[in-house]
Amino acid sequence: MKKSGNCQDPLKVIGRAKGYSRNELIMNLPRHAKFTPNLIEQIEKLPEVHLRNSGSPMAKKLIRMMREISTETYRAIQFTRTEINNKGVLFGVVMLKHRVLDLVLKYFHKRWPSCIICLYNEHTHKTGIINEKGIIRVVKISLKEVVQEISRTRPNIPYFEDIQFSGEQIFETLYNSQIITERENPRYFKKMIPNYCYELPGMRNGVEKRFISRNKKLNEFL
Amino acid sequence: MPSTLEKIRILGENSKYDICASTASSRIDKYPKLFGDTNKWIGATANAGICHSYTPDGRCMSLFKTLYTNKCIYNCKYCFSQNCKQRLSFTPEEYARTFMKLYSMNVVEGIFISSGVCGSADDTTEEMLEAVRLLRFKYHFQGYIHFKCLPGVSQHLLKEAICLSDRISVNTEASTKEHLAEIAEQKDFMNDIVTRQRWLKQIRIRHNEETLKVMKDWRQDNHLKFQEKMIKDRREDGYKKFRWDGAPILNGGQTTQFVVGAAEHETDWDLLKRIDWQYRQIDLRRAYFSSFIPIAGTPLANKVAAPLAREHRLYQSDWLLRIYHYKLNDLKEVLTEEGNLPSGDPKIHFARQYFKEHGLVDPNQASHQELLRVPGIGPISAKRIINLRAQKFKFKRREDLKSIGVVLKRADPYLIINGRNQTTLQDFFNPDESKISQGGI
Repeated sequence: MKKSGNCQDPLKVIGRAKGYSRNELIMNLPRHAKFTPNLIEQIEKLPEVHLRNSGSPMAKKLIRMMREISTETYRAIQFTRTEINNKGVLFGVVMLKHRVLDLVLKYFHKRWPSCIICLYNEHTHKTGIINEKGIIRVVKISLKEVVQEISRTRPNIPYFEDIQFSGEQIFETLYNSQIITERENPRYFKKMIPNYCYELPGMRNGVEKRFISRNKKLNEFL
Repeated sequence: MPSTLEKIRILGENSKYDICASTASSRIDKYPKLFGDTNKWIGATANAGICHSYTPDGRCMSLFKTLYTNKCIYNCKYCFSQNCKQRLSFTPEEYARTFMKLYSMNVVEGIFISSGVCGSADDTTEEMLEAVRLLRFKYHFQGYIHFKCLPGVSQHLLKEAICLSDRISVNTEASTKEHLAEIAEQKDFMNDIVTRQRWLKQIRIRHNEETLKVMKDWRQDNHLKFQEKMIKDRREDGYKKFRWDGAPILNGGQTTQFVVGAAEHETDWDLLKRIDWQYRQIDLRRAYFSSFIPIAGTPLANKVAAPLAREHRLYQSDWLLRIYHYKLNDLKEVLTEEGNLPSGDPKIHFARQYFKEHGLVDPNQASHQELLRVPGIGPISAKRIINLRAQKFKFKRREDLKSIGVVLKRADPYLIINGRNQTTLQDFFNPDESKISQGGI
């Protein structure tokens, strides 16, 4: 078979397309739970075209690891349910296997810059705290104690006092009111909220769970 | 006195057929703070939006979407609130407080505030604005707000709504005056809807220009020059060239919504003509389509529901007009005799006809416009092809195209690579009957 005269790889020509650059990989892979320093050495040896080409086994592994990190971060952002007290302390529980607690904390900090945010990681049994200046600390103390300790010295904030009531029922009522039975599409719904998401702390008792429990397997019924 | 929960249940259900995307707004952090330079502000917007929950049909539920009131002087035949016996209203404080609670729980991303018309459009809008003002200035909420403009509302209220919201919309509901009269006889198509849309366009342009002037006094940088270009530049077909205005507020632009299949003889062609006009004349950001579903207790209860596939085809065609730069007449060629879109992807229907007449496409020579007409090549891969060609790269293998994101299984029948066309099995056996291979092999 005649070899193509075009020896350039299109991905190399346009600089960036699919996949991740070497820098992106080196910066983000240490967040993965199964990261080893050997991995960085391997990445540094490989040319960028190989790293980006999803056909090579190494690139496949790296892309999978990167995807696991970003998916876990995004799911935590989506499905973490939080509460706020009248002192301006926002708190919640997450379950993060990879080292992405700082990313989730920063997301909440961007939304609530005047609040202190505390997230308890069920996986590591540690609580991450971000203050108004964006400084992050991780402590091995339970969430309740951390919130109590931080709230002790902070003044009451009037507009947070206004919203000190239970929101569970409100959200459940809103959710139920939005359902259009004629358009129900369980397969699409399952794609948007895959089963593993119901294991996340914010979704364990969520209203969404009721809709998957409708299609229980026979074993689960028994 | 009904409880807040009861109000959410009823008013939420009354608004469930209203369609809105998640938070489609991008604000630039370097602008001065929009609603006062306080350090207490709360909330942010994200370009692509974040979905905190999904309803059982898979729709993202990222906004607090309820009516402000379901008391309404109009009796539109398709409307859900026609059948609702309980007439309720939020108070501004109650509405703002409830939303802030949900936002603090991280279950919603922003607000979609719509309403029935209670008394007059101005009175109701004034109350809706009061709720928005409370959110912006009492709770210091800087997140996403989609404000629904009521038919017949005054210009000064629209001006204020624009200054406070990220997106604003007027429901067109039907494509023409006659079709609207059929389903909502009290609404005046020209005065209540089109005039308000024109006002919104004018107010937005003026607002953006004024903001730009203030920004220029504040700082000078290249972004501002680009922003000036964004406000003015238009495509050949009259559509806005840039999606974003670059303005610090109302970045989501103006949108509209149609009820598909409620009016008796309304065709897809009527709807496409209307949205094309709206894209050119009133700088519509995008249109939403909602398939008509008959609701018991309304005058159209016995009418057959519009198929969801029709809604889907309209969205695909809308995408072709807006993102793929198709001309309206291009879409006319694929319509059935009744003026509706055929089943199947309109882009593929069009490609079959187009490439039969014009011959197949060589990615090394085709223009950007031609590349966009090939199924499996979208705006991003077309741009990548053009960029590669600019750097003297020649496409000699199908894999070259695959590696930059072209979907070959769809694009293959319309492409010539290295003088060869990967045809379908059917075309190979019956070359005479083939619609495509006659084009240029």
